[in-house]
Amino acid sequence: MSVIIRSGRSVFLENLSMETKKTVIIVPSQTESIKKVSSKILGSLKPYGVSAETLFDIRLCTEEAVRNAIVHGNLSDKNLLTTVSYWIEDGAIFIEVEDEGVGFDRGALPDPTTEDNLMKGSGRGVYLIDRLMDSARFNESGNKITMIKKLK
Amino acid sequence: MAVKFEEKFGLTVCHIEGEVDITSSPDIKKAFDKLISKKTPKIVINLSRVSYVDSSGLATLVEILKNMRTYGGKMRLANLSPKIKSLFEITKLEKLFEIMASEEEALSNF
Repeated sequence: MSVIIRSGRSVFLENLSMETKKTVIIVPSQTESIKKVSSKILGSLKPYGVSAETLFDIRLCTEEAVRNAIVHGNLSDKNLLTTVSYWIEDGAIFIEVEDEGVGFDRGALPDPTTEDNLMKGSGRGVYLIDRLMDSARFNESGNKITMIKKLK
Repeated sequence: MAVKFEEKFGLTVCHIEGEVDITSSPDIKKAFDKLISKKTPKIVINLSRVSYVDSSGLATLVEILKNMRTYGGKMRLANLSPKIKSLFEITKLEKLFEIMASEEEALSNF
């Protein structure tokens, strides 16, 4: 059985039939959607007694991934959707963020920590995700990231 | 989010309260644009009441620093929470910014 919750143009779909409850959030590609997604995920973690530091990392990485999907993937086109799925398994949260864009080559992203790039105004989002999550992988085309963070 | 400025010992101290992120960054930039247009020589940013910073917030602080450097201005950051300080360490931005433990320390010999 699935439960669909609508909030404005956002859709929250909770699949209750699976052993591992998976929640899918579909939002329009506008920056207002970023906090909606992270609030929903952090709210779901309340019963798990997760440390403030881990919650900070999950919030930051979710917001960075959703922002990238909206701004770089879907080019802030409100008609394109960003889909976020998350579930808890083996004491960790799995978060997938997918956009409708053409994707990108993760390997081509410059290292923001080199001397030449330190002064740059962007390019730290994916780097922070890599460093703060226990695992972060893009699919082959680069329009979907799966992040894993142990709940502690 | 709120940004307040005060003068202390002839220096400008900025207190930011709330979150420094994609939502608040445009307002923070705007608040600093006024100081930068006046070529304020030295600014201490007290982050004791900042609970969250994202990559947009880091980028905003980098941009303010960059703009100040165009006229020889200097900036120090003070009172970062351990978590926010760790973001500066991870991104190596600690090499770019002068990060002080307290506002008093930031104001001395500046």
